[in-house]
Amino acid sequence: MSAIDWNELDGYEALVSELRANPPAAPERLRQRILEGAPVARRRTSSKRRLVLVVVPVAVTLAVGAALVHGLVNPGSKESGAVPGQLGLLGPARTTPTADSGKSVHRTFARPRPGKPALNGPIVKAYMPSHLNALAIPKDRLVHADASLQVQVPNRSALSEATNKATQIVSSLGGYAQSVQYQSERKGSGSAFLTLRVPVDRAQTAIARLGQLGKLLSQQVSTQDLQQQLTRQTNQIGSLRRAIAVYQQALKSGTLSAPERVEIQIKLANAQHSLRLVRKARSGTVASGATADISLTLSTHNAGAVGGGNGGGRFGRLLGSAAGFLALEGIVVLYALVVLSPILLIGGLAWWLLRERRRREETRLLASA
Amino acid sequence: MTDVNALPAAVRQPGRVGAPPFADVVAEHLDAVYRYLVYLTGDRAAAEDLAAETFERAFRSWRRFDPRRGAPRTWLCRIARSAAVDWFRAEARRQRREETYSRDEALLEESVFAEGLSPELDGALRRLTPAEREVVALRVLLELDGPSAARVLGISHTACSTRLSRALKRLEEEMTHVRD
Repeated sequence: MSAIDWNELDGYEALVSELRANPPAAPERLRQRILEGAPVARRRTSSKRRLVLVVVPVAVTLAVGAALVHGLVNPGSKESGAVPGQLGLLGPARTTPTADSGKSVHRTFARPRPGKPALNGPIVKAYMPSHLNALAIPKDRLVHADASLQVQVPNRSALSEATNKATQIVSSLGGYAQSVQYQSERKGSGSAFLTLRVPVDRAQTAIARLGQLGKLLSQQVSTQDLQQQLTRQTNQIGSLRRAIAVYQQALKSGTLSAPERVEIQIKLANAQHSLRLVRKARSGTVASGATADISLTLSTHNAGAVGGGNGGGRFGRLLGSAAGFLALEGIVVLYALVVLSPILLIGGLAWWLLRERRRREETRLLASA
Repeated sequence: MTDVNALPAAVRQPGRVGAPPFADVVAEHLDAVYRYLVYLTGDRAAAEDLAAETFERAFRSWRRFDPRRGAPRTWLCRIARSAAVDWFRAEARRQRREETYSRDEALLEESVFAEGLSPELDGALRRLTPAEREVVALRVLLELDGPSAARVLGISHTACSTRLSRALKRLEEEMTHVRD
């Protein structure tokens, strides 16, 4: 059916009839040329639409898959957000997210205190959920132990009671409370931060009893072996003593010349000075291994806020972590878009200008040829 | 007319739903495409080459052709136009380089558009610009509707109507001028 708008051709009927009556016909050789020269059917190529239909779902699947894998590998911390602000109030403490046996937890590490001997031995740290026994502290070796506990108590009166009881526990075990910070608010909430010291051989007992003051939310024990350091210092003391004895013997013999005597006296003085230093360091090592430091946090915050009773459990944490990762991916994509958008804009503008220029050139070409 | 069933297997591609086999398209639209190219270029030899090139391009992109977006004839005309524009560019470069107008001389010697056309009409068609001849070809010979022709030309429907009107008027004027 002819769809010609006849109004446009009105008045030109004769012209149109003549043109239509004598149309140029394609020669047979052209038909044969096209049919014979038609290329062999080619391998199916993906159209842009097909490409988009494949690439977009694959990209989305990869993004979600990566987020889920991230969630599985690092499902978030049970203690994440635990007792907001408490750890900061502790002063010499910081939190670091780490992974432990496939489970990510926030561990609390005590900063080394000024004046304490340098601890060079291997450090063993463990996060102990409440239902597990605490890390065994070896008693046949000299070790330094650090422990950190977070305990929840039901209310402010229980907090006061637990604070007092904690100091009593460490006192009964031969230790003492190095510092106690007690805070309470009008709304009935409060918290207490205690830095306790107990003999290492009684640290496990202290940790167990302190954990029973309320609901144990987290517990971390780290030990550092000091035995090797002690042995080395002891050996140094022995060799220095022997050297001093030799120097003293030489000075008493009276066979030395004046310069040799002066030299030996200098060596003797140096050895005695080194002996004093090593003895002091050894005393510090022994002192460090004699007591365990326990940081106890008592709080009245509810379990949900603290993180001890995550409603969704592991699955909830997994989803939360995956969502967080997805959000991170979204931020990256958004950032890339923000960075690339000016380039894309300029590219699009350039493409449009080229297209317009080409169109004008075509029009000029066809109008003048 | 060539029997479609006798066409080589290469051009009888398995058709998609809604799209006719390519061989049918060749059989049905070759004449139309050729006519359009003859009118556009004013050169039968060039039109033959361009028609062959058009169908080669069409064959390559036949799988991407969506009949819902336009008729095969419109699609083929757009490919043909693109090929013809490339040819015009090459011709312009060649003419600038060689400064020869042998093609124009050939135009004057033999009937270009069709054997049966009156000398006045044939002469008048020669005097039109390619842009004017192509709109006449699309609307009169190929009987494309306004929107389809406008799509081929890459202009608006109104602009297409205006161009057709001017082309026909000029064609008539040129015929009168030749008669006088």
